[in-house]
Amino acid sequence: MLNMKIDLEHLSALAYLELTEEERKTLPSQMEKIIDWVGQLANLKMEEEEKYTPVEFSLRLEEDKIQESLPQEEVLAMSPAKDADFIKVPRVLQGK
Amino acid sequence: MKLFELGLVEAVSLVKKGEVRVVEIVEDYMARIEQEDQKIKAYLTYAFDKALARAREIDSKKEKGQLAGAIIAIKDNIVTKGIRTTCASRILENFIPPYNATVIDRLEAEDAVIIGKTNLDEFAMGSSTENSAFFPTRNPWDTERVPGGSSGGSAAAVAAFEAMAALGSDTGGSVRQPAAFCGVVGLKPTYGRVSRYGLVAFASSLDQIGPLTRSVEDCALITSVIAGFDRQDSTSSPLPVPDYPAEFKVPLSKIRVGVLDNNSLSGVSQEVISNYQEILKLIEGLGIEVQRMSFPSWEYALPCYYVIAPSEASSNLARYDGVRYGFRAESRELSEMYLKTRTLGFGSEVKRRILLGTFALSSGYYEAYYAKAAQARQAIARELAEAFKKVDFIVIPTTPEPAFKLGEKQDPISMYLQDYFTVAANLAGIPGLSIPSGFTNGGLPLGLQVVGRSFAESKLLKFAFLLEKNLNLKNNKYEMIIRGRRKNEK
Repeated sequence: MLNMKIDLEHLSALAYLELTEEERKTLPSQMEKIIDWVGQLANLKMEEEEKYTPVEFSLRLEEDKIQESLPQEEVLAMSPAKDADFIKVPRVLQGK
Repeated sequence: MKLFELGLVEAVSLVKKGEVRVVEIVEDYMARIEQEDQKIKAYLTYAFDKALARAREIDSKKEKGQLAGAIIAIKDNIVTKGIRTTCASRILENFIPPYNATVIDRLEAEDAVIIGKTNLDEFAMGSSTENSAFFPTRNPWDTERVPGGSSGGSAAAVAAFEAMAALGSDTGGSVRQPAAFCGVVGLKPTYGRVSRYGLVAFASSLDQIGPLTRSVEDCALITSVIAGFDRQDSTSSPLPVPDYPAEFKVPLSKIRVGVLDNNSLSGVSQEVISNYQEILKLIEGLGIEVQRMSFPSWEYALPCYYVIAPSEASSNLARYDGVRYGFRAESRELSEMYLKTRTLGFGSEVKRRILLGTFALSSGYYEAYYAKAAQARQAIARELAEAFKKVDFIVIPTTPEPAFKLGEKQDPISMYLQDYFTVAANLAGIPGLSIPSGFTNGGLPLGLQVVGRSFAESKLLKFAFLLEKNLNLKNNKYEMIIRGRRKNEK
């Protein structure tokens, strides 16, 4: 479809992923092949512009009612690091 | 006869009559799993203690639910309160969910016992269960071969008599293809028939939970329990759930079946074609009207799927950042933590699909890929809808070939082609049911798929039951699987 080189560095930065040595070797050609392959879609002649929607029934409204949620201690227990009632993460801003 | 050989409907009826206790069945399965699972590797986590405790509770109840006596394995991308749920990924290796998926609550409300969590391709991305971050599962019919995927652990557990039935999930064929490879029944229900609440999201517009069982009757019973509206899943349908097992008794009225014309079978293995043609003869022999059909838009079904599914996955998997749950890589700074967590936590196929989705959704490419795929999806759905004006069911092979060997498919696209016959049902949201349809000369199971209109599960199950009865493959199945496995056992 589009004859282009994909910019894997850019894509992996967008996706918050780093590639291993091995992946750096194999992924570029695999991705190009896959993208070429899905590119066949361009050959499909569509008469109308209609796009698929997965659900035909109309969505219902929920009553605005407070319901029980997960207990705070259970939610905190799943977190890899916490401090009192907070989930702890490394510092957000770089610097000293 | 050992208790683990009992079919689900059979076991439930014996428990109801008070002839067998649930604890006895659980203990028999524990022994069976301990003996078999070192070879098959169907499970990632056993839940024996919980299963025994639950069984004792059920045995002491006067009024038992309709699944008392059922021992069920759960694909490890369906969350289970207090039982580790990994998605076969390092990123969730130690994740213990604080809640149950709706399907788990529904099974347990009817007194089913969960015996363990089964292996899969990481985040359900694959067709062989080789993409599990932990270990591959082996096909019980030939341990040098894959069980299919991504619900390979569930299919293998049911086939190897390590579970009475199992739940899997099907995004592009992940229940039906392993069902075919392992010689069991597998249903992908209509999109919206079964709640997805608690199913770890891969591609939300395609994902659906479905049962894997040893008979169509067992499949009908489980489906009747797990189906139905759930306020926790806004895409679940409010349509009432028929009593599938009861409807078996009502005979099918005049039915018309669509089958593939010869040109539509190019690239399919000869053994699959011969089996398919035998089944068509059998169907015609039953006095059922058969129409030859072709589906030109299926040529685009897999490319369409491999734009839509990775796009949705790239968005769904953005939640794994190491903050609230799951694996976290130690770092000095937050964005570095995200990067390292995801880099170390995800395997190669998952990364490949996230990158593909990121590409398809990125500025400049969206119209050429995602928008085009959404149109192709509409064309595929419309073509099937047209076909269902002429016929009640479409009967097609489940897979283009029988189970392949571990390590045989190195190229991603050759693995993706496994879903050639299954993916259209996901794209169109319609139900598909795979039943065992025979064996290759080498003794590997083959599957036949029946596809129907949206929410026509009842008719689908009934027709599959008719075929199953006439194929009569159930006889001595246990004997057969033992013989089959011994072939390549070392």
